[in-house]
Amino acid sequence: MAQRNDDSPLSPAARNLDAPAGGLASFPPSDRWSDWEEYDPAEWPRKVGRHYTLVPTICFNCEAGCGLLAYVDRESMRIRKFEGNPLHPGSRGRNCAKGPATINQVNDPERILYPMRRAGRRGEGRWERVTWDAALDDIAGRIRRALVEDRRNEIVYHVGRPGHELVYNQRVLHAWGIDGHNSHTNVCSAGARTGYAFWHGADRPSPDHANARFILLLSSHLEAGHYFNPHAQRIIEAKARGAKVCVIDTRLSNTASKADYWLSTWPGSEAAVLLAICRLVLESGAYDREFVRRWVNWEEYLRAEHPDKAPTFESFERVLRELYAEYTPEFAARESGCDAATIVEVAREVGRAGSALATHVWRNAAAGNLGGWQVARALEFLAVLMGAIGAPGGTGVGIANKFIPAPPLMPPGPKAWNELMWPREFPLAFFEMSFLLPHFLREGRGKLAMYFTRVYNPVWTNPDGMSWVETLSDERIVERHACLTPIWSETAWFADYVLPMGHASERHDLLSQETHAARWIGFRQPVLRAAMERAGRRFNSTWEAHREAGLGEVWEEDEFWIELSWRIDPDGALGIRKYFESPYRPGEKLTVDDLYGWMFEHSVPGLPEAAAKERLTPLQYMRKYGAFLVEDSVYNTHEKPLNDIEILESEVEEESGIVSRQGAALGVRIDDRYHVGFPTASRKLEFYSSTLKEWGWPEYSVPCYIRSHVHRSNIDRGRGEMLLLPTFRLPTLVHTRSGNAKWLTEISHSNPLWLHPEDARRLGVATGNLLRVTTEIGYFVDKVWVTESIRPGVIACSHHLGRWRLRADTGGERWSSALVDLNQVGPGQWRMRQRQGVEPFRSGDPDSERVWWHDAGVHQNLTFPVQPDPVSGQHCWHQKVTVARPGADDRYGDIFVDTNKSREIYRRWMAMTRPAPGPGGLRRPLWLARAYRPAPEAFYIR
Amino acid sequence: MRYGFVIDQDRCIGCHACTVACKEEHNVAVGVFRTWVKYIEKGEFPDVSRHFAVLRCNHCDNAPCVEICPTTALFRRPDGIVDFDNSRCIGCKSCMQACPYDALYIDPKSNTAAKCNYCAHRVETGLEPACVIVCPTQAIIPGDLDDPTSRISRTVTAQKVTARKPHKGTRPKLFYVGVDGDLLEPATLTSERAYVWSERRPDDDTYEVGASNGAAAIPGGARVVYDVAHPAPWGGKAALYLWTKSISAGALMVAAMLTTLLGVDDLTTNIVSPLAALIFTGLTSLILIADLKRPDRFYYLLTKPNFSSWLVWGCYILMAYSAAATAWLGCAIFILRVPTMLAVISAVLGIATAGYTAFLFAQAKGRELWQSSLFLWHLIVQALIAGSALLMIVGIIIGAASISYLAAMLAASIVLGFAMVLGELYLPAISEDVRRAAELITGGALSRRFWGLSTIVGVVIPLALLWIASAETGTDGAILRVIAALAALGGLAAFESIWIEAGQAVPLS
Repeated sequence: MAQRNDDSPLSPAARNLDAPAGGLASFPPSDRWSDWEEYDPAEWPRKVGRHYTLVPTICFNCEAGCGLLAYVDRESMRIRKFEGNPLHPGSRGRNCAKGPATINQVNDPERILYPMRRAGRRGEGRWERVTWDAALDDIAGRIRRALVEDRRNEIVYHVGRPGHELVYNQRVLHAWGIDGHNSHTNVCSAGARTGYAFWHGADRPSPDHANARFILLLSSHLEAGHYFNPHAQRIIEAKARGAKVCVIDTRLSNTASKADYWLSTWPGSEAAVLLAICRLVLESGAYDREFVRRWVNWEEYLRAEHPDKAPTFESFERVLRELYAEYTPEFAARESGCDAATIVEVAREVGRAGSALATHVWRNAAAGNLGGWQVARALEFLAVLMGAIGAPGGTGVGIANKFIPAPPLMPPGPKAWNELMWPREFPLAFFEMSFLLPHFLREGRGKLAMYFTRVYNPVWTNPDGMSWVETLSDERIVERHACLTPIWSETAWFADYVLPMGHASERHDLLSQETHAARWIGFRQPVLRAAMERAGRRFNSTWEAHREAGLGEVWEEDEFWIELSWRIDPDGALGIRKYFESPYRPGEKLTVDDLYGWMFEHSVPGLPEAAAKERLTPLQYMRKYGAFLVEDSVYNTHEKPLNDIEILESEVEEESGIVSRQGAALGVRIDDRYHVGFPTASRKLEFYSSTLKEWGWPEYSVPCYIRSHVHRSNIDRGRGEMLLLPTFRLPTLVHTRSGNAKWLTEISHSNPLWLHPEDARRLGVATGNLLRVTTEIGYFVDKVWVTESIRPGVIACSHHLGRWRLRADTGGERWSSALVDLNQVGPGQWRMRQRQGVEPFRSGDPDSERVWWHDAGVHQNLTFPVQPDPVSGQHCWHQKVTVARPGADDRYGDIFVDTNKSREIYRRWMAMTRPAPGPGGLRRPLWLARAYRPAPEAFYIR
Repeated sequence: MRYGFVIDQDRCIGCHACTVACKEEHNVAVGVFRTWVKYIEKGEFPDVSRHFAVLRCNHCDNAPCVEICPTTALFRRPDGIVDFDNSRCIGCKSCMQACPYDALYIDPKSNTAAKCNYCAHRVETGLEPACVIVCPTQAIIPGDLDDPTSRISRTVTAQKVTARKPHKGTRPKLFYVGVDGDLLEPATLTSERAYVWSERRPDDDTYEVGASNGAAAIPGGARVVYDVAHPAPWGGKAALYLWTKSISAGALMVAAMLTTLLGVDDLTTNIVSPLAALIFTGLTSLILIADLKRPDRFYYLLTKPNFSSWLVWGCYILMAYSAAATAWLGCAIFILRVPTMLAVISAVLGIATAGYTAFLFAQAKGRELWQSSLFLWHLIVQALIAGSALLMIVGIIIGAASISYLAAMLAASIVLGFAMVLGELYLPAISEDVRRAAELITGGALSRRFWGLSTIVGVVIPLALLWIASAETGTDGAILRVIAALAALGGLAAFESIWIEAGQAVPLS
């Protein structure tokens, strides 16, 4: 069968790469991947053949985990290009602009190839080359001492894009016995995760876009986000089939521009709009009564909150209608500024779609607003009402579409709880309170003996970056800081060690993302090593292959953690080493082949059989194809019946129907049938959260609309106040990871302030003029982009740009960073001024002299105070600002910050929290998921 | 077999993956693009929309770039792909003027022209182009338009498709589904000096053509929010070339008229004219070569000629004209007279030298201003202005007798030339592009140069001085006439540069 020229999309992934008769094929047939000849386009039209070995790997730019196929020249052993991997079930051979741009990152003349050690004061910018041995010994020694002296909470690993997306880094930190994982999630998706988790325990949705009839997005998945490329493919497929799309987003994103309905809501009003749609669905009776009756915990709700009412579904329906009566379309229109008639029309579309309603919010409103987590909860409420949860074309539960192969010998959760990440003030925070770390440390809540940053740039990415600079500069509270990074960053500048780790094509990882209604795994591998091993070479470690390929001393993290763990516990006395020994060769050091080979042999159903068919070992199979589809068409997993043995061995709680064995819930009884249900306390979808009530938030026990900190009533436009929407992505960039991709930077390098013409007239500015935007802790000066694509009263600024460096020739990507002066002008008062923008520079890449742009953008995040949501812990990104014409001394890119004020605002938001302990002296509800979950006893405050 | 593309803008999400995948496949340098995505916005909040178009080579069946390319570096393959061989390219940039779609650029690595070649090197191994396979939404459909069963043929047959500028007669093989019409009408769009997330290069579209007074006044009118730069390929050297060529062509045209019609037989006609023709033809050739991005390959014009290109014919004409001038000079020196037949032949070659550019510019299909039907005649008149002005200056210096004839010819040709200018700029425009270009000259950014230099200095002052000088005798008259001739030459130079700039000011994409 032809895989193209066939009007239907590739699904789930190409099984046959043949060209249609007389036509062209999309990809070389996989049986010729080991030696594929292609004409050299540089020599064309002279036909000069080149031989490549095609090695699959996984993109490392966003979290989608799309497949790549590296073309490695068999002669020179250099990577010629990256195409898509047609056998990858999520991305199906296709990529966004960031996929092919991987080659820029690999060939970046600015990348770091050797480990460096700070030579002067921290942050002074003097570096010397150091051996890996010296760095590893020093770091291992410090960790060992901290463990032996029981200072285990002084070791923190802070990660942005994990790489080890699944449990493999948890394995490392738990082997050390520490609760040391710190992520970026609370500046990112924690708001949405919280909203989802309170419904169904799992923290992600998995919309089945391809089969949807109506797609409701509070996101921009046709241009960005997780999972941009896999989702965009499927959304457009659905559209082509006739599905309608509605996008709720304040600014006109590319996604909104492709939608049938665009609701430009006043930021923070989204839950009001969604609940109005819910109300319309309830009033009209268009909801799925049977699904709601069976799967929503309405009985628990009536028992707890309406004991006077009849415990029947009909009475729940009446209560529901009363509860949401206030959310009229007119109310939603008043709050959001959107047209009430459009809201009604969208509700009609939802009703027509039935259970084929695919919905998604990930960051957007959920990450911008106080109470943003209720936006996700309101959106999921709609999906629940329509019976869309887990349905074909509906909105699945993330975990149903993810597969996590178990590694050999998983260590138990540690008996430690690190309050630097999981403080008592935020018992329900969905992830670590990472962005508050500087404040915690400076308040005296602890110190760090060893701090790792990995693909994470908190100085730049997090709000209040100057507090990070102050904290990271203080060697008393951050004793050692190692930055694991392939490139310079604002944060690496304040490290003691800068340790070069591999890019996408230079490391091992195992991934599984909920891109659609299936389960798959993808295998990231170091392609040069794989190519050389195909050619018969053997390497003990990836860095040896890299050294041979001319990649300096670039390591991969798997081997880094294994090596570090051996040095922490050389004789095995601490009980750590055993986790880093080969399952095949007892007592010997674990290799990546051991680790992944073991998992592919033991933990992936169907893979050993598929490999055997091709006379390959499972590891060889994954090295050859790079991905494996574990299960296709995964729907309605909550309906899965419990088997008889499970039922026999279990207890069933009469009132709730919860089935449990030895205290662990297994499923739920509904209408005398037993199902696995959802991973919530009730095993049902929790319209009513007893947890929220018990943990001090009774007013939020059901989905409702929380007025944001940037509600209209808080913004006085007459006084020059506006709402700054500082979080939107561009299709070509990804945070601070893409500044080294010249082809991406050339397309996007400015982040002007989007300003509606009405506001531009009021302020007397035109496109290109400057404005000073003042926050509660400082200000920044940026240029204006006058546009109809933003709501009046709101200014918007993309968060990708504004990179800076302090030295002309090092410390930042010259493709994309401005050279700045950073001066402390008073205690806690910092001033940054651009000395020059991007300029052409001389390097090994002649393109660096062809750089034609000068703009590096403006770094707005420095001027934002921390604004933690008291429930989800999410940083609430939206800012109330004062916008004015610049002063005489103001220049483009100027930034001023007062960290004294940062601390003031921090304390103001901390005062909104309702700290643990909760019921039973718990730090956190036991049922609620937690990253890197410690042992149960750690959950109790002693 | 005819390979073509359908680009389905209903599916396109404007993500730039095709742009970057193409850059990767062909290692395209920073600053230039084989394929790119243009964004426009229309309407007012909240009824505002954004639209994308993927722009690139249209692989025209009747490709003007192939026709104009002097060295057959560009060619149409039997399978319909318009491909190129950069080892044959001399970097004359005429293809960039011929293409109405802005598809070509000069590759800074080789200083030769390049563009989308449909990944011909992949097609030959049976693979789709790089942009096709990367596209997340499968918006780019490649295939054989001659095969009625191919997906592309079925799409073109069954769906409403649009092509860019079909009136150009290029027979493009790139068809759009669902494209917003404004995206294909670049001249009607407004823009700012910046884009939504990028700078705009200072050398890109230096003039706001029509935007300042046209569509910008319409609230919510279509405006460009992202595009890539397409700097004008030709600059001062091209204008200078037109100018020196006018002098060169005019020298023998004027001399031939003087000798054959008026019986003048003096140092000016015999020696100065052929010398001037030779010197200025030589200068013209040198400027031409200097304007090549690969001057080292100038001889490819002779060794790898494309006989459909007027650049090649121009080269032969310049050589023939130089031969005639040499013969003229030889006759004047060795047989002390110029045979009438030689004078006639020289005059015809002079007309050809002046006029071939009109045919070359007509092959520059992208530039509508240059398609003017008066252009050929205007070039000949320009040569008469330049020739008579130069000969008069030299004639006055060496004390020739035919000055009054030359003055009269100069005055007459200036009047005639100005009439043609007015005709080119004020007669009803054949297209919107021409109207905008003309407006740029008469009332836009080029108007000060046009009215000040080209018209006052180049027309009014010389005519006035020649009129005054006609009543003067002796030194004063001579000085006035020299100034008039210099002014006329200066004005002509100004006009050439205005013509070159205005012709390229209307955006093609």
